[in-house]
Amino acid sequence: MSFRKFLADKSVNICISLFAWLIIWNFLSAFHIKSWQIFIIGIIYFLADIIKILWEYLRRKKFYTDIISNTENLEKKYLISAMTEPPEFYEGQIFYDVLCETNKSMCDNVAEYRRHSTEFQEYIELWVHEVKLPVASLLLMCHNNPETSEKYSEQLRRIDDCIENVMYYVRSENAEKDYLIKEVSLKRTFNASAVKNREELQQRNISLKAKNLDITVMTDSKWLEYIIGQIIGNSMKYFSPGREPEIDVYAVENEDNVILHIRDNGIGIPAHDLPYIFEKSYTGENGRTHAKSTGMGLYIIKKLCVSLGHEVKAESVQNEFTDISITFGKNDFIKIE
Amino acid sequence: MSKIYIVEDDKSIRTELAELLRNAGYETECLTDFSNSKHHIMESESDLILLDINLPSVNGETLLKEIRRETDTPIIMVTSRVSEIDEVLSMSYGADDYITKPYNPTILLLRISAVLKRSSKENIKTSYRNLQVNTAKGSLSDGNNEIILTKNEMIIFQLLLDRQGQIVSRDDLMTALWDNEEYINDNALTVNISRLRSKLSDFGCENAIETRKKQGYILI
Repeated sequence: MSFRKFLADKSVNICISLFAWLIIWNFLSAFHIKSWQIFIIGIIYFLADIIKILWEYLRRKKFYTDIISNTENLEKKYLISAMTEPPEFYEGQIFYDVLCETNKSMCDNVAEYRRHSTEFQEYIELWVHEVKLPVASLLLMCHNNPETSEKYSEQLRRIDDCIENVMYYVRSENAEKDYLIKEVSLKRTFNASAVKNREELQQRNISLKAKNLDITVMTDSKWLEYIIGQIIGNSMKYFSPGREPEIDVYAVENEDNVILHIRDNGIGIPAHDLPYIFEKSYTGENGRTHAKSTGMGLYIIKKLCVSLGHEVKAESVQNEFTDISITFGKNDFIKIE
Repeated sequence: MSKIYIVEDDKSIRTELAELLRNAGYETECLTDFSNSKHHIMESESDLILLDINLPSVNGETLLKEIRRETDTPIIMVTSRVSEIDEVLSMSYGADDYITKPYNPTILLLRISAVLKRSSKENIKTSYRNLQVNTAKGSLSDGNNEIILTKNEMIIFQLLLDRQGQIVSRDDLMTALWDNEEYINDNALTVNISRLRSKLSDFGCENAIETRKKQGYILI
């Protein structure tokens, strides 16, 4: 709080004082009061004024300096009312009360939206479980009536994929629940994903090679299964017509981490798109010119990986390969001996 | 014939599941009255129970715990809840396997058969005609000679043998192979079948595996 600005703010008060003194001075002169007496009265008058202004300034200074520096230092600025002591002067108290009041009202407002969002998320989760029932039922019907099966079950798998995407999007947005990190075999998790995508891989004549997956990592196997499924799904979408499509899956164990590579020999990702592929709704050149893309898949994968504490990276050379790697940290403390 | 008890509240899934299992040669019984589930399940004396988690009036996990207290009949949890937490809970309560809906019917059948074999409620066929099948060694022998089968050939032969006399589709064979981490393609399957045929005919089992056009293979 600057004294100069405070003084400038008080300029009207000072003018009134000066004006009043002019009247008093004229008045006193009219009564033939001696000039040294007028001088003493003047000193008392102005001294009182100066003390008054200084007093006002000092009372306000502490409160306002606090509130300004707190606001600057706080990362979450809305906590300012909790971080500042209530002032001792009246106007300050009014200001402080209003601040607290608006803050509370905003908190209520935010809580309302948070509740809405949680309720919506819960409803989606519930809906996902519900909608899986008719899908499961239809898949069984297809299997029981083999003459219609092939075409229908393919479409059902597509529906199931869409449902999974919704579910994992919701989970990735609100990651504090629904996952459990434990020791998971890469081989088993990859197998579940591969079996799930078998029909599509075979229809497209893609050969799948798995090597060196006999490693366990700390993760949530359901989430990882989804992540691997999505990556394989992308490889299937963007294969190169010029050569035999291949997906190589292998893990590399280092001293402090395990890296799972999923590498395909598809059309690759243009270098100018590569830095942005994990961003929300980013479709890039491939998404426009080749298979249809929503730009959500890799974004969800990234979010899930971040929640699980894994690092996901993409390497690619256009028209040669794409290699998506997931790095799992190693931590012996988590292992139960 | 093994008897499978289905605990599933969705009527349509229940009917289709029962049909699937009957077609695969199992006897089935379904729970329709959920007010006293545990009592009905215990009464049925089945060889395996398929248990859903979301049930009316009782939670599947609680039910699982209660059943486990009284019997060690194999239980496979079949649920639409894709969650590691539910799986770990179910397994710790004593479930033998955990499968999420919508499941691949072939995989479900493979799992059921695996669980039944483990609990030895289903007889493991270890012989074919005059041949002894040694799964651990991966070999066939007629007492004098022994032939080693590759992992793929063994998986194929085992599935055909389990369903001897029934048609096994290429899709089912493929699923079984992939389920065992053998990610082979269509051509490789044909090659594997013909190798298996020639190995069998070395033992004098000519035409053991017949091809049924557009349907699959059958072990005679």
